[in-house]
Amino acid sequence: MQEAIPYKSYSTTRATAVGSRSPLLNFLGGGGGVVANGSESSIRKLVEENAVVVFGRRGCCMCHVVMRLLLGHGANPVVCEVEEGKEEAAIGELSRIGGGGGDGGGGGGIQLPAVFVGGKMFGGLDRVMSTHISGELVPVLKDAGALWL
Amino acid sequence: MNSPTPQFVPSRLGIYEPIHQIGIWGENFKSNGNPNTSTSVIVEVDNKLENESETTSHEMLTASNNYEQEASKPIDKIQRRLAQNREAARKSRLRKKAYVQQLENSRLKLIQLEQELQRARQQGLYMGGVLEGSHIGFSGTVNSGIAAFEMEYGRWVDVQHRQICELRTALNAHISDIELRILVESGIGHYFELFRMKSTVAKADVFYVISGVWKTSAERFFSWIGGFRPSELLKVLVPQLDPLTEQQILEVCNLKQSCQQAEDALSQGMEKLQETVSSTVAGGPVDEVSYIPQVATAMEKLEALVSFVNQADHLRQETLQQMSRILTTRQAARGLLALGEYFHRLRALSTLWATRPPEPSLP
Repeated sequence: MQEAIPYKSYSTTRATAVGSRSPLLNFLGGGGGVVANGSESSIRKLVEENAVVVFGRRGCCMCHVVMRLLLGHGANPVVCEVEEGKEEAAIGELSRIGGGGGDGGGGGGIQLPAVFVGGKMFGGLDRVMSTHISGELVPVLKDAGALWL
Repeated sequence: MNSPTPQFVPSRLGIYEPIHQIGIWGENFKSNGNPNTSTSVIVEVDNKLENESETTSHEMLTASNNYEQEASKPIDKIQRRLAQNREAARKSRLRKKAYVQQLENSRLKLIQLEQELQRARQQGLYMGGVLEGSHIGFSGTVNSGIAAFEMEYGRWVDVQHRQICELRTALNAHISDIELRILVESGIGHYFELFRMKSTVAKADVFYVISGVWKTSAERFFSWIGGFRPSELLKVLVPQLDPLTEQQILEVCNLKQSCQQAEDALSQGMEKLQETVSSTVAGGPVDEVSYIPQVATAMEKLEALVSFVNQADHLRQETLQQMSRILTTRQAARGLLALGEYFHRLRALSTLWATRPPEPSLP
């Protein structure tokens, strides 16, 4: 299965607690595996190795909505929870990793939940919703290798 | 110079032909050039002034210059008087017409106001409940935000009605596509205006928007997260758009599906929010009197409701835009007309329902 898509894997990476402590802590893979203490480098690795990653606050209902939409298309997004109270720092990290691919809110105004597709910042719920309706979302997901079909 | 006969009163002349008189007065003054001469003219006329009453000196001066000319055309005088009478009668008829028109408008306005008053009374029952428990300390700002929205929304509905009538006329008149496009753009823009208004008032009181008290009762029946369901919108529009091309049918089908998926996602998000708030409020020991921490936390979570209203409106907006991309200008115009007419009928239904005769009581 790994051979079919050589450079994008779905394996959840086990991050080691090296480097500065990142506000992006636990992340749950699509299969429910939990790993603690992600550092910034491991978060970067997470974004690069997974087709779709969703960053959101714990228990955020909007995050739930984004997940529903992406799962409905057959994508299997990895969820990364942002620690309570550390949202600003998390957003700062994400904008550094993001590289400005897509309208993330105009001038670094990233909002949570934030979605990364194909290693690049895609946007928030707004962008997911509008691309979903206009039909642009499916090709983008396919290009990133998020969809099997 | 002839002495004036009773029916030829110089002052009347002055009133009806002032510009002519002024011209002559000016000419006389210029042609003389000699200040002495002009003074003598004034002196002469001054004598006349004592004989007349209730006339301005200006009129006297101008009248006296034409005396000789007019005195020799008595028939003209009668003709002019008849013309003036006809003119006066015509003006009187126009004034009466305008007055009647005004009365008619006022009557319609009165009926409208009575309807609004009745609606407001019904809503007052809801509003009392809504405002009671929330933002007690900020009731001033909450009320002003809501009051401003109510006023703006009333105007929005009026403009909506006017736009629908314009669309109907335009479609029947077969105007050019370019002109029709302008109407379509302003129609869609008008809905976007409503979403902006709702976003503002949602910040003041999101429960107000979600409750839908600002809408009529029949509209409220169909309410989903503070507005209409986009999939319902498509069901209303599509039958009115025939004939559609194969490509269009496919695209509309896809849009219906995407809409349904997005609605489901938002609905599930709302359910999750309900669960979260419910468990927060219910949490903590009940044998203790203090519930402030639970309620305070619940309030934080409820902030998400504002996002839901915004996202639902965003979905409505995107659906409308996608439809306008799929359709031709004429189809889009028919679609907007159908949509506007649909909501108009729902509002009429609400009014009829509110004013239906009461059930006869059993003896």
